[in-house]
Amino acid sequence: MTNPYSFDIASLSVAIPEIFLLSAIVVILLIDLFLTQPFKQVTYYLTQLSLLITAILAFNLIGQPDTIIFSDSFILDKLAAVFKVLMLGAAMVAMVYTRHYLIQHSLFRGEYFILVLLAMLGMMVMVSGYSLLTLYLGLEILSLSLYTLIAIARKRSNAIEAALKYFVLGAIASGLLLYGMSMVYGISGSLNIGEIAQFSSATNLGGREALIINFGLVFLVIGIAFKLGAVPFHMWVPDVYQGAPTATTMFIATVPKIAVVAMLVRILIDGLGAMQLDWQGLFVALSLLSIAIGSLAALMQTNIKRLLAYSTISHIGFIMLGFVTGVIAGYGAAVFYVLAYVIMSLAAFGVIILLNKKGFEAEQISDYKGLNKHAPWFALMLLIVMLSMAGVPPFIGFYAKFFILQQILSAGFVSIAIIAVIFAVISAYYYLKIIKTMYFDVPEEGNTFSISAPMDMQIILSINAVLILVVGLLPNQWLKLALSLF
Amino acid sequence: MENIYLILVLSPLIGAIIAGFFGPLLGRTAVHSITILGVLISTVLAFYVFNHHVLEQGEVFNQNIYTWMQIGNLDVSVGFLVDNLSAIMLLVVSFVSLMVHIYTIGYMADDAGYIKFFSYISLFTFAMFMLVIANNFMQLFFGWEAVGLVSYLLIGFWHHKESATEASLKAFLVNRVGDFGFLLGIGLVFSFSGSLDYSAVFSSLDNALNQQLWGLDLITVICLLLFIGAMGKSAQVPLHVWLPGSMEGPTPISALIHAATMVTAGIFMVSRMSPMFELSDIALTVVMVVGAITALFMGLLGIVQNDIKKVVAYSTLSQLGYMTVALGVSAYSVAIFHLLTHAFFKALLFLCAGSVIVALHHQQDIQKMGGLRKKMPITYWSALVGTLALIGFPGFSGFYSKDMIIEAVNFSQLPYANWVHYAVVAGVFITAFYSLRMFFIVFHGKSRIPPDSAKHLHESPLSITFPLVVLAIPSAIVGYFIIEPILFNGWLEGAITVAPNHTSMTELSHRFQSASAMIFHAVQTPPFWMMIGGIIAAWVFSLYKTQWADWMVQKFRPIYYILESLYGFDRLNEIVFVGTVKKLGNLLWRVSDVGLIDKILVNSSANLIGVIGSVVRKIQTGYVYHYAFFMIFSLLIILTWTLFAGDSPLLEF
Amino acid sequence: MVVSLSDYLILSSIVFCIGLVGIFVNRTNIITLLMCVELILVAVNTNFIAFSYFLENESGQIFVFFILTVAAAEVAIGLAILTLLFRNKGSISVDVTNSLKG
Repeated sequence: MTNPYSFDIASLSVAIPEIFLLSAIVVILLIDLFLTQPFKQVTYYLTQLSLLITAILAFNLIGQPDTIIFSDSFILDKLAAVFKVLMLGAAMVAMVYTRHYLIQHSLFRGEYFILVLLAMLGMMVMVSGYSLLTLYLGLEILSLSLYTLIAIARKRSNAIEAALKYFVLGAIASGLLLYGMSMVYGISGSLNIGEIAQFSSATNLGGREALIINFGLVFLVIGIAFKLGAVPFHMWVPDVYQGAPTATTMFIATVPKIAVVAMLVRILIDGLGAMQLDWQGLFVALSLLSIAIGSLAALMQTNIKRLLAYSTISHIGFIMLGFVTGVIAGYGAAVFYVLAYVIMSLAAFGVIILLNKKGFEAEQISDYKGLNKHAPWFALMLLIVMLSMAGVPPFIGFYAKFFILQQILSAGFVSIAIIAVIFAVISAYYYLKIIKTMYFDVPEEGNTFSISAPMDMQIILSINAVLILVVGLLPNQWLKLALSLF
Repeated sequence: MENIYLILVLSPLIGAIIAGFFGPLLGRTAVHSITILGVLISTVLAFYVFNHHVLEQGEVFNQNIYTWMQIGNLDVSVGFLVDNLSAIMLLVVSFVSLMVHIYTIGYMADDAGYIKFFSYISLFTFAMFMLVIANNFMQLFFGWEAVGLVSYLLIGFWHHKESATEASLKAFLVNRVGDFGFLLGIGLVFSFSGSLDYSAVFSSLDNALNQQLWGLDLITVICLLLFIGAMGKSAQVPLHVWLPGSMEGPTPISALIHAATMVTAGIFMVSRMSPMFELSDIALTVVMVVGAITALFMGLLGIVQNDIKKVVAYSTLSQLGYMTVALGVSAYSVAIFHLLTHAFFKALLFLCAGSVIVALHHQQDIQKMGGLRKKMPITYWSALVGTLALIGFPGFSGFYSKDMIIEAVNFSQLPYANWVHYAVVAGVFITAFYSLRMFFIVFHGKSRIPPDSAKHLHESPLSITFPLVVLAIPSAIVGYFIIEPILFNGWLEGAITVAPNHTSMTELSHRFQSASAMIFHAVQTPPFWMMIGGIIAAWVFSLYKTQWADWMVQKFRPIYYILESLYGFDRLNEIVFVGTVKKLGNLLWRVSDVGLIDKILVNSSANLIGVIGSVVRKIQTGYVYHYAFFMIFSLLIILTWTLFAGDSPLLEF
Repeated sequence: MVVSLSDYLILSSIVFCIGLVGIFVNRTNIITLLMCVELILVAVNTNFIAFSYFLENESGQIFVFFILTVAAAEVAIGLAILTLLFRNKGSISVDVTNSLKG
């Protein structure tokens, strides 16, 4: 670092995906303004196109040497590049499903896609953030877009209520996170992740300073735990999942989780890795609570979105367990789990959205009665998702759990593994309940499951669900990829 | 040889795929011809493999066929280990499966799911092959899960029956418990040996010696966890509850999956792991005791059942208990021997039961049968052979295997072995009693069949009777011919390890003279007289003085009640397993989102943190506040913890 | 008198606590809630500036500028949600938002 306030124009090339995406947002926003109602679809296609181009740009950056620019606050390494590609890919799939949902519920507006693109931008900044400032800004761009994406269904009081709850709690969580950042900054004297890492590994703190940085660490962990939805900072998750329009729920449930995991890696491993023993215990508690509450609370749910919310909480618990191990293989297992989780959630919400009709949300589990009779193919898709989430081999969800448990056992936490396994057994019950509903119950009168979704969505959804099986059969490459990120 | 193994394993899979995907296009006849051809090829090859390995003592084949994942030191492959143990298992599985395939033509003739059923049972056969032929833990686990999956599908095959769906759910849930124990065991195996390959694991067992976990030897913990897996699959108490329920499925699969093959996977697995189990006397004792409990108490339940299939199901549980006892006393080869004879005679009994059920238009209550001997002679004679084999009548195959188990227990040095010995001897009486009770009630005595169905009553078609006859032959004679080679002449040498301090097998071989001598010797042993007693008791209660049975029921109502309620296991299962989980879920659901904040946190924090509490109590109306409060309260707890706890205490845990 | 770093930290933690407690004490009006969120951010800003001053390192102050900007955007969205809530429920009391639970 020579002069912190100057940079080389050529070095901007590592931020090309973000720069392109930002310009694309501005352009699409302007174009959308001049489109009349019959041509609104153009916004959708432009969105997909810009996501695709951004993904290609990000893909080209994979394999470049690690570069840090913008006064050491923006990093490009393999983790960042790969995560960006994954997020953009997931977002493209999500947008295919979203379009169908928005049209069915008369929510199709250009703003929706603009906000999604903005959220993507925020997440890409998060993934590449190498100072507390960029991480925070990325997180806020993401959060503010998400609040609005929920409230976009402005005539639904449930959606507004969900937005309000998410907003209030999210603001508190941001406050806690910032408070933690200020303490870490105050003790280490820097916002930069690399310098914080140097400081925390080199210095032996004592007394008051150790206490402050420990408190800061707690606040940071809580901020991250909130964004992940880990117990006891999970209370927004079920309400938001249920209240938000299903398309938004799908988005919240998938892509941001990748970004938050990246933030977790940046702050807790890259930055405060030397204090690992201090946050490890906290992570054990949070993840076991998440697995427990997530598994148990889901048992009594009748709303499938709410059920998936609790199931998410328990998956998050497993992901966090991967970070407890403190070894690279464990982190790799966690990233693999995130990937598996995103694929499974996309498919799960995809099926829910697929069954939406004008003015009808397939929200209740009882809406799925006898699905197998009328739409056997998509019942099979949901069956794959549910078996995978329950951790039945050979689906991807099994490997995800298996790798985590294997790492936990190798690290010597046998009791933790056993507790996790017990709750995994319990959670199999509610996944099975859905399968039973689809396959063995008699459909309700008049519920014919006429599928109005366009062909592109049906095809993408089928590929999505089949991917659960395919990656499950060939997990080798994916796991290697996950392990190579650290 | 590799190609032969591949064809052996894959031909049922190909049959299943063709039947599953193109079945509706091909029609019924084509589907059953193709799947039967697939299994027939396997059976022929299995005979060849058996001949090559067991009779001609060919080289053990242990090779990875296909590497599937390689991550760091974790190497997951599809590999075949064909030694005498797997060769015997392949033969049993393919032979019984072939018979069941043929039988299904007649049994399912009127069923709408005919094609699907064939595709499932062929798929099952493939999965079972993969399980027995595996050379590593991962493939074993996969086969394990796959046979389980097909089994749930088949239990719930008649899904319009509410009870069938529930039984399949129950089987799934109970097996999850076993499977996760199994999986944890595999994880621990990997953690000490760094490999999942059998041979690599067994050769690195020294690493695990002297390691401790939870105050036990690491090996003991691993064996116990693996045994939990075996308990789930092989239906040992208390994870047995799913097996009687599985009788809701069609009878051919009860014979194939829930009697002859899948349920013995646990027995097979423990035999495979014998090098590990031999290192832990504690684990072996647990295995033995669990087996004895299952053998004795599940047999008792068979006495009070009136459903023909349930009687056979409880008898299966009891016989699985016998096999487990044999494992516990390190007589692995005896366990495999009993597994083999049991596969024949129990499949036979189930198919006989199925034949009766079809003839009576799906009547399963034995109190509504009777006097079938005249109308169904082939079924009658086959059932007689099966029953005699089951109760261990001298000369029949079950006699040799069961007698050897009882003898082996007698020689065991493990603690509690003498009690287990009493249990298995008492079990002989019970087995004879319930088996013949059913036999007499169904085939002898006065007919209690309603006249209109009695009119159409006739012997089953050839596709049903043919398998009966074919299975009756080995049920009768196989024990006589193979007892010597399988137990004492080293058919299983190399595949099974017995520690030198477990002497029951060597003692047995000292005593053993010849198969014929055993028959004459039998008359002088208590098990023989127990069996005769059981036969007489059955005759008295079910034919001679039927009113005595009612009188006994009256007099011993509490005992009868206990037996009839299946020792409350189902009830317990309902309460503990499903009920508690549901209730706990309900509780937590209330607590975590509503109740905890309203009732516990808010109210009790009023006492704890006076100021905050009294302020909070005024505002318990809107939930957002409660969420926020919950977050902040958690924050406080964590901060306090950080402040006072010092080094993270949870990591110790 | 000399104001030390700890004085600033204590002040900011008090403001922070007021903000936190305010969020769950207040039940009538969402606007109060927004104000409490602002208080939390103000506490954070105080922290940053104090640290920045005593560390003689300007990046903390730069951070504060960004926090202020984000806070403005946050309030804008908060007020928008508030308006929608009023349209849907006819009230801006948080008491009315409890139809999602369980």
